[in-house]
Amino acid sequence: MKKNPYKVLGVKEGASYDEIKKAYRELVKKYHPDRYRGNPLADLADEKMREINEAYEFLMKNAGGAYQYDYDDSSTSSQGSSYQYQSQQSSQYQQNAQQGYADESELERQARACLNRGDLNGAQRILDRMRNRNANWYYLQGLVFLRRGWYDRAYSNIQRAVNMDPSNFEYRNALNNLNNQSYGYRHNPYYYNNYRSSPDMCQICGTLWCADSCCECMGGDLISCC
Amino acid sequence: MFGYVEPDKPELKIREFEVFRGYYCSVCRSIGRRYGQVPRLSLSYDLAFLAVLLDATSHEAIQGDIVRCFAHPVRKRLLIRPNRFIEYASDMNIILAYYNLKDKWSDEKNLLGGCGCLALQSAFKKAEKRYQEKTRRIEELLGELNRLEKARCASVDEAAEPFASIMREVFECPHVEDERRRKVLGWLGYNIGRWIYILDAWDDLADDVKSGSYNPILEQYRYDGGDLDAFKASIKDKLDFSLTYSLSECEKAYALLGAEKNTGILDNIIYSGLIVKTDKVLQGRCGNNEKKSI
Repeated sequence: MKKNPYKVLGVKEGASYDEIKKAYRELVKKYHPDRYRGNPLADLADEKMREINEAYEFLMKNAGGAYQYDYDDSSTSSQGSSYQYQSQQSSQYQQNAQQGYADESELERQARACLNRGDLNGAQRILDRMRNRNANWYYLQGLVFLRRGWYDRAYSNIQRAVNMDPSNFEYRNALNNLNNQSYGYRHNPYYYNNYRSSPDMCQICGTLWCADSCCECMGGDLISCC
Repeated sequence: MFGYVEPDKPELKIREFEVFRGYYCSVCRSIGRRYGQVPRLSLSYDLAFLAVLLDATSHEAIQGDIVRCFAHPVRKRLLIRPNRFIEYASDMNIILAYYNLKDKWSDEKNLLGGCGCLALQSAFKKAEKRYQEKTRRIEELLGELNRLEKARCASVDEAAEPFASIMREVFECPHVEDERRRKVLGWLGYNIGRWIYILDAWDDLADDVKSGSYNPILEQYRYDGGDLDAFKASIKDKLDFSLTYSLSECEKAYALLGAEKNTGILDNIIYSGLIVKTDKVLQGRCGNNEKKSI
């Protein structure tokens, strides 16, 4: 059974083009493959992303008549760009992977294959057998720990890989990704826009007092009683 | 369990808080009805969260009644009608509480633990019968945890693994039919279990230094008996990363769960309550006295 595209995007039926686009952007941010890289639930996130893209495409084609005519050009071009974006992403991944494979030993390749299949024990066994502990070894070990949920060790291994080979884009990217994930979570809008960030009485009084002092410096007066 | 999973109350709507408390009361009552009055004392917030989370996977409307309860005789309160998820949460509470007390008894010869363990014995037998396979897995993992603690395991990640896996086992509720959803719940459980274990280890640092008990943080960062506050300050960022990353994985799993209801409460806990708790404990403002139930 196909899901209702409005429900998939979380908008009301008959929502305007702008509302749909906004909801779509939010969802893309939420289920972006970058966020789920190295996560055991990555396949489910992919599926969700496909569902969202399909719903968006459908609504852009069939959304309320007036909008369709007015925005026809822009909607098709934005559709195009969303898909290009997706395919660019995946081809970039493949390229990265292939570049990696070219100068890697057979064992490293096998370990990566195990990791891609989600076979963590297999990957760990191969890594344990390897003698040459180069930057790539630490990187792969970090990925295995990450997938397992051992984030402390994942971080130190990937950091070590970056320190050993600072020019490698893939390692640096993985390390940045780790930092971004935890930063992004801590700065989520729910937490960040709540009562903590709004000024309390102390701040308000302080600001008023400050403003009053400044005015007085300039010869004026904001609060006449003090 | 430890009672670390709490909503960020000032941000919660009153209605949402009442529903949350309604779930808590309902799990508590369900324990009373099926296991007797004494085991009701063992309930913590964490299991109320589990009930809210699991119930969010079904789209049946929430049904509740306003009733009076002898634990809170003054005002009538909302009570969510018991369903399979609420009963599951109460069963898991019995199993976890029993093992927790048993552990206290065998480790520290804590008398309270011994008595509690005896009091929960028959309730535990009943719950065990309902979920034999799960109980067996949990017992296995607890054995693993004990082994790591005896060996004074010097890796926080490794020491957290058995407890995190227990929570995976608990969150993977057999009453959730969709297999993919069970997988999502399992990963959420694993990460929340990891977070609870590490946070609890941090919270216990001072006590463990005093008593010389095992604590994975003291082992991994090689505490040399110097100033504890300086030691804590030197490793705080590392622990903060580990805890926050675990929570970010919880959030990612939650995003994929597609909760059908209770989103107000769940969003509040996942996006805010857990961060607030992390900060409180990391800054050491949470003494043991703050770990109380409603």
